[in-house]
Amino acid sequence: MATDFWASSHNKRWIIDRASLKQARSEDLRYVESPEHVDFLNIYFANLIAMLGKRLTLRQRVIATATVFFRRFYVKNLYCETDPFIVIAACCYVAAKAEESPVHIKNVVSESRLMFSQEGYGVKNFPSDNSKLAEMEFYLVSDLECDLVVFHPYRTLLTLCGREAAHAVVSEAGEVGVGIDNGPRYWGTGEGRLELEEGPLQTAWHVIPPPPSTLHSTLLRPKTDQIRALNRFIINDTYRSELCLLYPPHMIAIAAIYLTLVLNDKTREAIQAQTASSTPTPTPRRSSRTNTSSVHRKLAAAPQQQQDFVGFMAGLRVSLPTVAMIAQEILSLYTLWERYSDAAPESGLGQSAVGDTAGDDVVTPAFLTQLLLRMREARLADLAHPASAQPMAVNKRLERTQAAG
Amino acid sequence: MDAVEKANAERQRRWVKDQKVGEGTYAVVYRGRELATGRKIAIKKIKVGQFKDGLDMSAVREVKYLRELQHPNIIELLDVFSSKTNLNLVLEFLDTDLEMIIKDRSLVFLPADIKSWMAMTFRGLEFCHRNFILHRDLKPNNLLIASDGQLKIADFGLARDAADPGYKMTCQVITRWYRPPELLFGCRYYSTAVDIWSVGCIFAELMLRIPYLPGESDMDQLKTIFRALGTPTDEEWPGHTKLPDYVSVGQFPRTPLRDLFTAASGDTLNLLSKCIIFEPRKRISARDALYHPYFFALPYPTHPSKLPKTAAQTAAASRPPDEVDGNVDPGGGAPAGVGKAAPPKKLKRKLSGHDLSRNIARKLDFTAS
Repeated sequence: MATDFWASSHNKRWIIDRASLKQARSEDLRYVESPEHVDFLNIYFANLIAMLGKRLTLRQRVIATATVFFRRFYVKNLYCETDPFIVIAACCYVAAKAEESPVHIKNVVSESRLMFSQEGYGVKNFPSDNSKLAEMEFYLVSDLECDLVVFHPYRTLLTLCGREAAHAVVSEAGEVGVGIDNGPRYWGTGEGRLELEEGPLQTAWHVIPPPPSTLHSTLLRPKTDQIRALNRFIINDTYRSELCLLYPPHMIAIAAIYLTLVLNDKTREAIQAQTASSTPTPTPRRSSRTNTSSVHRKLAAAPQQQQDFVGFMAGLRVSLPTVAMIAQEILSLYTLWERYSDAAPESGLGQSAVGDTAGDDVVTPAFLTQLLLRMREARLADLAHPASAQPMAVNKRLERTQAAG
Repeated sequence: MDAVEKANAERQRRWVKDQKVGEGTYAVVYRGRELATGRKIAIKKIKVGQFKDGLDMSAVREVKYLRELQHPNIIELLDVFSSKTNLNLVLEFLDTDLEMIIKDRSLVFLPADIKSWMAMTFRGLEFCHRNFILHRDLKPNNLLIASDGQLKIADFGLARDAADPGYKMTCQVITRWYRPPELLFGCRYYSTAVDIWSVGCIFAELMLRIPYLPGESDMDQLKTIFRALGTPTDEEWPGHTKLPDYVSVGQFPRTPLRDLFTAASGDTLNLLSKCIIFEPRKRISARDALYHPYFFALPYPTHPSKLPKTAAQTAAASRPPDEVDGNVDPGGGAPAGVGKAAPPKKLKRKLSGHDLSRNIARKLDFTAS
């Protein structure tokens, strides 16, 4: 979060174009039956990072950083040539250090072992030796080219939505030396902030509020996994895809705000009213509707001036087509995610068979772990007996993989 | 060899490692050069040591910030490459540091020289603070001096982001003599003001030529500070008695800075006093310091190339010890020595080579107790 984004390594070296990203995955795609499987792997690994992070009691930002490290590592490496599980552990370990909340290497090893060995994941051979993780850390840091400062959308979200002030008052009473300058840190003076109520803001950052519009229910149908609560954050959700490699974080934040405004009943109506008549006045329909649910009543109780949402988006002076593009990507991520399930271990095997044959069925972690193993074997076979006449030297990373088990 | 390894090998080939020049807690430093140009560089090889416990936190911090920060007054990280099992940081080569210059008794500092070093320090620090990075280990031997006289802030092994309000930070940072009182009282929420205190101590040290507040233990450090500046009252520093590790170390009267810094100008003392205000919130910011009248008054800061140099530096530059006559000192204020009269301008500024053995590697020494 330090430094100026525009001058940062994040902006200069780690926002890549779609073609490079495609190039990075092209080898992996040769070993899967359907290109979607790679996207599922992206979701799967991000979930694992989030869960490992929770076990290590890492803050959300550390988890996000770990995920970005993971994505960056796989811009340069292949899923089928590495052991993503130990990479995940290394990402969490390095991110914790880079974000100033270090955890001991032993804890990372033991928690990873514990978690990955659960039946649903079926990773039997996570090394118990600290040095394996430390070695992976070294490869990770050198492939990251030591660029460890990562920017995230959270700060933009808070700054744009006027919640920073509320956060700034957390310091302990009576403490001196709190004089940290909270001045215009990322987005200038805070003038023209979007005043979102707690509900919509939480949508963008936190929990999807209960009122079920049809769109909501199709997009965000309750999932049956234990970490359901964690999954409900739009920005957090974006880390399940590769968006963080393609777009600067502030654009992702704006796309999340946009989605929130459109998905939230109240704000959507306000926007519709606004676009229908050019004068932004609250319509009577809105007030009648707010009485329908207790949640809405509570929100309406807060005296709120009708805001110019359209003007706010326009006033950001960012490329709105890009925002719309990101929003589309987030939506398609949700569509895909609907078919992914961190299902209970017992159903894992059965479903994996189904998932294998019919692309439209639920994909489980166990299936993805198996898929990964098959990819790795196929890759090994290919390298040993290249189908093309071109002989390939046995890759160093493959040795790493094998050494790691 | 895949593309990633190839790129790495290519980077590695750009640099040549020569002799080892020092060793620190987590790294070994080599002198080297750029193959194409012959430019002198330092290679800091981070020990990964059989991969026992992973990368040292200091190494992570240093690498993390140096990769992002580019400023004339901050040491430049030229490149990073990995070799077998080591990470190598390629840094610009710097001949000496401010501590060696201060300790070199053959050198005489003019007020304009001190002003020049202070200006460069504040510029570098302002850049860090503008980017919300706390250095947390400023001291003369972390201020390196390039052959052209430019001062560069180095050693980011303790640096971190200014934490979000409400997140605790450790108070076990900054070498004791340069540590501000709020840290000594165990304050866990602090700000860029901690670095300003350190700069104030360095400022005083440049004038005195000995460390200004050399406490022998953490407790003694508080006593030393209060002996020099007076015990703060609750008005001067509201709430300090409620800090976690607050202890009363006795009442000392306030003595005017003028009594110790007899030769300093009014502006000088005004800036110094603003750097070492007890209440952290009232301490001057790096940005405001740069706008302080001190920097605009005569004598103007010495041009970096004309600053006093140690013998090691001169030897490195392989130039004859030049009789520096560029220090325009139009009689504005006596030199801020230890009450000594100003020596003639044509004084030979470098004589001894006794410190030749010391070098950049000292930068790895963290005495962060």
